[in-house]
Amino acid sequence: MLFNAFSNPSTGKWIIPGAGVIWSLGCFLLLKYYGVEAEIAGVDSIVFALVFLGGVFVVDRVFGLFTPKGKNGWLLFAVPFFLSLIGTLAHGYGMAWLYRSADHYLEFLSFGFYLRWAILALAELLVALLALVVSKLERQEEIQQREAQMLQLSKDAELAQLRQQLQPHFLFNSLNSINALVGSQPQKAREMVLQLSEFLRGTIRKDSQSWISLKEELNYLKLYLEIERVRFGHRLVVDFEVEPSLEDSKIPQLLIQPLVENAIKHGLYGVTGAVKIDLKCRKEGNYLILEVSNPFDPESAAPEGTGFGLSSVGRRLYLLFGRKDLLNTESMSGVFRVELKIPQYQ
Amino acid sequence: MIKTLIIDDEPLAAGIVQEYLRDFPQFEVMELCADGFQGMKAIQQHKPDLIFLDVQMPKITGFEMLELLDEPPAVIFTTAFDQYALKAFDAKALDYLLKPFSQARFRQAIERFLENQETGNREESADQELNQLAEKSNRLVVRVKNDIKIIPVQDVNFFEAEDDYVAIHTSVGKYLKKMTMKSLEESLDAGKFARVHRSFIINLNGITGIEPYERETYLLRLRGGEQIPVSKTGYARLRQVLGL
Repeated sequence: MLFNAFSNPSTGKWIIPGAGVIWSLGCFLLLKYYGVEAEIAGVDSIVFALVFLGGVFVVDRVFGLFTPKGKNGWLLFAVPFFLSLIGTLAHGYGMAWLYRSADHYLEFLSFGFYLRWAILALAELLVALLALVVSKLERQEEIQQREAQMLQLSKDAELAQLRQQLQPHFLFNSLNSINALVGSQPQKAREMVLQLSEFLRGTIRKDSQSWISLKEELNYLKLYLEIERVRFGHRLVVDFEVEPSLEDSKIPQLLIQPLVENAIKHGLYGVTGAVKIDLKCRKEGNYLILEVSNPFDPESAAPEGTGFGLSSVGRRLYLLFGRKDLLNTESMSGVFRVELKIPQYQ
Repeated sequence: MIKTLIIDDEPLAAGIVQEYLRDFPQFEVMELCADGFQGMKAIQQHKPDLIFLDVQMPKITGFEMLELLDEPPAVIFTTAFDQYALKAFDAKALDYLLKPFSQARFRQAIERFLENQETGNREESADQELNQLAEKSNRLVVRVKNDIKIIPVQDVNFFEAEDDYVAIHTSVGKYLKKMTMKSLEESLDAGKFARVHRSFIINLNGITGIEPYERETYLLRLRGGEQIPVSKTGYARLRQVLGL
């Protein structure tokens, strides 16, 4: 509907009556200019304005709800054309009957018939086009709103899912290690059960959106590494290099762990012998930079199914910040490095 | 005495197999191997009757290690892998143990092995099935004398059938691997490789030209200067893949 074209609907309500007033004023002045008596000119212009408004009403209703497409395109021209013809005829006969004795006016009326029709048709055609544009904009706005809502919903769901995507592989292997320890080192087995529980609890923390301090995340990471160290023994060495002043910086939960997991996977499964993983953290401008590097064997192509951890972190960063340039990787001389940038807001 | 090997990169996981195995004194664990390389060497050295094999290990997977063996011993997989992978195991392994596994389940596997040994009912087609089941992979593992080489498939220029073997031609050299052209073709990405001839599969990336040869056959030129014959059906397939 045309009045929806205004962001404030109460202003929009006046658009059609306003157009009628302007239309009748214009007609009145024009008729006066051509020497029509003031009384007749007034009635004529008011009736013609009503005819115009009636046409606008119909055209707006029709094209606000129905968009002619393809074969139906001719309707866009036909409706204003016939509507204005009917309107002009009605106006003409009505006025001629009302002022049947005013010869001069009657002559003027029949003389100007085609002109009136043309102008009315043109005006109604413009209104029809306008109605089409407005209804299209309305629909688009509606779609946009719905899309935004859906996006928000799927974003929430995806974030929750990505966060909780626990590697079953990790879980079962850890349980297997516990199974092995129960017989030989029961004390150690109990320790690992507790560590594993605490780790699992961390992955299902309720408030998924809140940020936590770097210190908390690193503690969580150490827990994870303790478990991995039990599994892989002496082969795994992890070196932390974090400036103490950064420990209170806030970061989204569980972003670093998948990177370290990835590093372990590539390091341990790509290289025989001891594996050293470095984790560095520093601040650059408004960004917290996290760097995870691991050795890898450039000769052995990555086995199947890797890289998931990285892409899931990239996806989460995109969902959180709407940017795709926050995660970078490089590999050179046998070292694979992942750099993660986390924007810091005050 | 039954010679046994345990191949697992996690010491504790290897430990529990060893622990469970103590109930069966007729088994002797020859060696604990932490990866497929060690495993392959140990298999050649000890000629074991049975191996316990993990799948995800450093450098090469348990599957890839098995592919390299001419006469694979009986295999019991020990793995945390989930169901869909297990379907593949089913056919080729004597048994598989899902980590963590119980002593009772372990005993079952051992009993199955002992039964099989009595009846001498070793699946002879084991390694052929292994190849057929090879899932889409982005690398090939080959044996060069006593060494193992991992070749990323994108580095391969073309494959050529040679009796029971397939010759893998890369810019660095030529490697032989025991497998069939059919199973190889199935394991390769159809958008990157095409079988242009009964004996040839080529990397589409390396094509520099194609010209008519004899009636209805063509000759393909590769970046390395090699000329590969293209059969009639191979040409049709090539046209389809390249969208000609």
